[in-house]
Amino acid sequence: MALTLACGVFACGMCDALAAEAHLQQSATAPTPADPAAQTAANKRATKLVTDETGRSMAIPLNVQRVVSLAPNLTETIYALGLDAKLAGDTTYCDIPPAAKEKPHIGSAQEPSLEAIVALHPDLVLATTSINRAQTADALLKIGVPVYTSDPHTMAGMLSSTATMADLLGASEQGATLVAQLQKRLDALQAALQDQPMAHVLFVVWEDPLISIGQNTFIADALRWAGAESIIVAKQNWPQVSMEEVVRLQPDYIVLTSDHLAAETHEHVNNLRDRPTWRELRAVELGHVVMASDEFTRPSPGLVDAIEALARELHPEVFSTSAVALTPNFSQRTVGAGLRPAPTTAKGRPLSQFAVAGSRMEASTCAR
Amino acid sequence: MRPLTPRRILAICGMLAAILFVVVVISLRVGAYPISMRDIVVTLYNGAVGNGDTSEFSQVIFGLRLPRIALGILVGAALSTSGAGFQALLRNPLADPYVLGVSSGAALGAMLSLIIAPHTVGAIQLAAFIGAAATIAAVYFLGRRGGQLDSATLLLAGIIAASFLSAIIIFLLTLVNGPGLRSMTFWLMGDLTAPPPTQNVVGWFSFLYFIFIVAAGAMYTTSSDLNLILTGEQEAGHLGVNVTRVKLVVYVAASVLTGLAVSVSGTIGYVGLLVPHVMRMLFGTDYRLLIPTSAIGGAIVIVLADTLGRTIVAPTELPVGAMTALAGAPVFIYLMRRRIR
Repeated sequence: MALTLACGVFACGMCDALAAEAHLQQSATAPTPADPAAQTAANKRATKLVTDETGRSMAIPLNVQRVVSLAPNLTETIYALGLDAKLAGDTTYCDIPPAAKEKPHIGSAQEPSLEAIVALHPDLVLATTSINRAQTADALLKIGVPVYTSDPHTMAGMLSSTATMADLLGASEQGATLVAQLQKRLDALQAALQDQPMAHVLFVVWEDPLISIGQNTFIADALRWAGAESIIVAKQNWPQVSMEEVVRLQPDYIVLTSDHLAAETHEHVNNLRDRPTWRELRAVELGHVVMASDEFTRPSPGLVDAIEALARELHPEVFSTSAVALTPNFSQRTVGAGLRPAPTTAKGRPLSQFAVAGSRMEASTCAR
Repeated sequence: MRPLTPRRILAICGMLAAILFVVVVISLRVGAYPISMRDIVVTLYNGAVGNGDTSEFSQVIFGLRLPRIALGILVGAALSTSGAGFQALLRNPLADPYVLGVSSGAALGAMLSLIIAPHTVGAIQLAAFIGAAATIAAVYFLGRRGGQLDSATLLLAGIIAASFLSAIIIFLLTLVNGPGLRSMTFWLMGDLTAPPPTQNVVGWFSFLYFIFIVAAGAMYTTSSDLNLILTGEQEAGHLGVNVTRVKLVVYVAASVLTGLAVSVSGTIGYVGLLVPHVMRMLFGTDYRLLIPTSAIGGAIVIVLADTLGRTIVAPTELPVGAMTALAGAPVFIYLMRRRIR
């Protein structure tokens, strides 16, 4: 008896045709929560077998109408593709664009409520290895909810993930357009920076204890596109680094992300100048402290904005001379050419403002 | 206090089981997905007669809530029973699966399996058992002095083993970058969200409960002897109790129970320490009553803590380990102070 019940539960993940029929039957008997399921039931008939970037295989409906995003970068990608109508729910972390905050939340990225996800009747759930737990995807797949997990380690990986997600959501064209635009901007950046020496930077993920990035992270690759190279050489993704090592390696620049102390650049530099060891770093003395937007920690289309902004800060001479050549590209900052609103809000504020603040600060502190 | 009769044991356990039943019903009812009591009954009935109900109700009840409740009952019962066992074994109120390093051994085993074979079904559980068993053996032999199992030395050996193993865990976390390690850090906090590693959920839970019943049953057979040992080991020896054998049975059984709990839920604190103390205060120190009441009490505490954990900050969830520590510490202090007065 008990065995058949278990089989009944898991059969739904196996044969979708049966499951779809059962959904139709179900909607007749159970009124409220199952009604949206009935609407999507017809779409669930046709599925295709997909293997995600972590090697999990699943049947995903051909016509996906309801998506739940389990990470901020995925939510952002969905908006960049102009598919926010299909976004049924996201996490409490999803804040870009601001409209994402209005969507029903299914909990945090790391501790989501599986029930809340099921309650949104998703055709597809999107997850990423950089923030979600493997067991969330495992548990959802087990009860027959398809979960596509992306695993980008490079910008190329991010772009191909974006294209794949667009395909899954039935928006191949938008995906191709978006990816081509982003690639074009990256190529333009590479062309502009090709004669520049790499800036050696310390990318600070966390200040205390000091945690930086390993070579196999998308951040390390994003830095390379911005004409920078992490001074930390580590196989781990998020290595804890000793200050001694930083003193020995003397980075040209220190790159902080804006979300970890929520302060402006000059406050950060002053903070660092008040701290022993930090204040003796050449980069801190020179005020070579750059605030990257928190987009830098999210493998999403907005990361290209962040890369461009960082490149401007690290290689100002290139952008002051060849500004004419690059301006057309930067005028397209709106990811997906009008598919989502321009990032003019507090969160999406272009980094050049920080640059101004930063240099002003530099002047004042030098005078002091 | 009235004499302990089988009837009284059954009456008290029946009462606790009724409380557990109420807690389980509450846990089935509440959650981010709204389901009415009527739908729960219908879904449970459909599942029981096996008519292939694949509705979302069924997904939520049989796929999410019931497995979590079943796991919570198992983990709570196993941790509390092993805690009661360790407390008798060491005649030390501080004894608990964590103090003896058994939890750390299990966690290290689980972690090694995540590094070596991250996608092998059941590898984590097997490795946790092996880790726990190896730690038991090491602590047991380190804890012997002059051929006798000495409580103080055993406790020290356990503390040393726990910190040594934790150091290895931290070392590995720093060095290795396995795909499952993100889950692992959460795992060390203790939570019940990990799905069963096989498709055959009922078979999986039967396997886990079978181990529990064998280990807890073995411990229960020693309960009369444990009562005597608690009055004094020498006196118990004079009364014909094979003290070394009883201690060995309790130690192995309690450690198997800890390994069982850690392998499926990570390290959940306070339950093994607290529940037996509460049961002692409520129902007396007789182990014939203490072992079953601790088991049911532990199940109540974990299911309740997990239900709260997934509802109070909904839709986000709090790991059950955080819930037990949050609620457990103040309760423990209150009980301690009341007993002193």
